[in-house]
Amino acid sequence: MMKAGPSQEEIRRQNLSTLLRHIHLGGPASRAVLADRMGLNRSTIMALVTELTTAGLVREELPRETRRAGRPSLVVRPESVSRYVFAFDVGVDYLAAARIGLGGAFLDHRETVAPRIGLHPGETAATLAGFAAEMRDTAPPDAVCVGAGAAVRGMVRHPDGLVRSAFNIGWTEEEFGENLTRRLGLGLPVLLDNESNLGALAEHRRGAGVGYQDLVYLHGDIGIGGGVISGGRLLRGHSGYGGEVGHMLVNPRDGRPCSCGSRGCLEAEAGQDALLEAARRPVGAATGRAGIRGVIDAADRGDVTARAALHTVGDWLAVGIVNLINLYNPALIIFGGTLPDIYLGTAAHIRSRVNTHALPASREVARFRICRLGDRTLLTGAAELAFTHLLSDPLAHALPAPGGS
Amino acid sequence: MTVTPILELRGIDKSFGPVQVLHDVAFSAYPGEVTALVGDNGAGKSTLVKCIGGIHSFDAGEYLFEGERVQVNGPRDAAALGVEIVYQDLALCDNLDIVQNMFLGREKRRGPILDEATMEEMAARTLAGLSVRTVKSVRQQVSHLSGGQRQTVAIAKAVLWNGKVVILDEPTAALGVAQTAQVLELVRRLADNGLTVVLISHNLNDVFAVSDRIAALYLGRMAAQVRTTDVTQSQVVELITSGRSGDLGLATTNGATA
Ligand SMILES: Nc1ncnc2c1ncn2[C@@H]1O[C@H](COP(=O)(O)OP(=O)(O)O)[C@@H](O)[C@H]1O
Ligand SMILES: [Mg+2]
Ligand SMILES: [Zn+2]
Repeated sequence: MMKAGPSQEEIRRQNLSTLLRHIHLGGPASRAVLADRMGLNRSTIMALVTELTTAGLVREELPRETRRAGRPSLVVRPESVSRYVFAFDVGVDYLAAARIGLGGAFLDHRETVAPRIGLHPGETAATLAGFAAEMRDTAPPDAVCVGAGAAVRGMVRHPDGLVRSAFNIGWTEEEFGENLTRRLGLGLPVLLDNESNLGALAEHRRGAGVGYQDLVYLHGDIGIGGGVISGGRLLRGHSGYGGEVGHMLVNPRDGRPCSCGSRGCLEAEAGQDALLEAARRPVGAATGRAGIRGVIDAADRGDVTARAALHTVGDWLAVGIVNLINLYNPALIIFGGTLPDIYLGTAAHIRSRVNTHALPASREVARFRICRLGDRTLLTGAAELAFTHLLSDPLAHALPAPGGS
Repeated sequence: MTVTPILELRGIDKSFGPVQVLHDVAFSAYPGEVTALVGDNGAGKSTLVKCIGGIHSFDAGEYLFEGERVQVNGPRDAAALGVEIVYQDLALCDNLDIVQNMFLGREKRRGPILDEATMEEMAARTLAGLSVRTVKSVRQQVSHLSGGQRQTVAIAKAVLWNGKVVILDEPTAALGVAQTAQVLELVRRLADNGLTVVLISHNLNDVFAVSDRIAALYLGRMAAQVRTTDVTQSQVVELITSGRSGDLGLATTNGATA
């Protein structure tokens, strides 16, 4: 049986979606450039731009920073001030929230730091909702929230966002998304995903991974997380738990106990605790990024214990990377969170082990890069998640009920 | 994979008086790649780089640029090809600001007066193009900058002057961990933007972290030029300290090359 082609309406929706995605990710561009990128004729582009303009999603204006003579052509830019999302990042020892405009601009940001601050889901949701309320109060009166997304360090069921387990903060079967949605009262659901999946998404769309279709993002903080993008798509597995690189088994016989209940997982061997313990940092010394930098600094100045600790952790990390290279043939491995420091501190070790053990044909093409978005990687990923609905059907979601609540 | 080097030296000999410092050195660098140049103190790294930059003439050998044989008789010839070198001492003027330093000796003039607005815009645009976020204002005096920021300014200056090949002589030698990370990220970004980068470094972590190829000089001879994905740290250490490692390196360490 012949399948009927898409209707005019579907084509139009698809084109609007593609156009808005181009402007959101590619930044301001003239209609001519957009027509070229999308392979559409100029009158079609003009009609689509007009629709997006009417919906308040884009605006046409003269390019900024022109000094040249002659008449410059108008550029289409995202309405980044008045169309925004809330992005949340539930860390183990910090909570962060940002208001991020269409086009990816960071408009506002809040953060609080405390050891194991994420332990209580209700308080976590209350704190984040409080940040959102503050940022909403200071937003321009005509600004509209079009979505919300959150990064959680744990196994997040796809697509409903149930947090099955977040070992480092002790959550199990937590309906955190619903909780946060209720407290925000925006009339919009908060979408949830695993932190490294969102890191992968962010770096793929806006960071070191732009232009690559096959990459692995590794995120280090207390634990180690991973997000795998293959053929341009995030690998989720059957229920969303794919890419749990931190619990890749690397040392089952006499490995260190892991937060997941197993032992010898990659994050048990190469995570922050393993490094600080092996470096025999004094009790009460800095943890987190400061602690890790302390170890690298010490190693740099010749401290043999710190050096040995970095080598051990680098070795285990390399074991994980070898397996990832052999399994997924990525063109790029991106280090995020605290891993850039560890990578730079022990790159010779990591590279040597990878070069010794990974399959040559896959190894040759695997480049190692530091995340480009730095501390903003996860929030950027959460924002990209939050823009999902708007980008897939711009007109349906362009103007939620005024005020939202 | 890239195969054609943009810069290629063949059979370079260089002596200072009776002392031969470079022996039959071959060296290639490729667009989009970082080539690390390693070797012990006195191996001849800086001398090789000064030959590439036209500061030193060489006694024998060929200099090819984009596949063509060229004559490089001075720094101007090298600069005209697009070869820019950031030397260890950086040659920045402490009492001038970033813009002034980036245009030092090559000021933009509109008639007899300097075109400050254009220079400022070009300097800011170059830094922005390299995603440099650590430098707040291009009108800061260089004396107020950290070591990492000074390196950044020196590197941006090379890029501003249409450097196609940017050569960095020990850019992280004097820097702490955090600033080293900044500079290495910038080094990598230059290559990812399509430039050809040559990085001289003593630190093998830096070398393995950002390079695509490693060229090891040993007592003035090129022991090996290898892909970073093909070697281990101990092989590179052997190349540096003895000129050979297994099948890699010089056939004998006092005679002809392999
Ligand atoms: N201008 C010079 N005159 C005489 N000898 C020099 C000069 N420059 C370098 N040399 C000598 O050449 C050798 C290589 O030096 P150099 O290229 O600076 O090595 P590297 O940079 O690898 O440490 C050393 O023995 C050094 O003393
Ligand atoms: Mg030198
Ligand atoms: Zn585990």
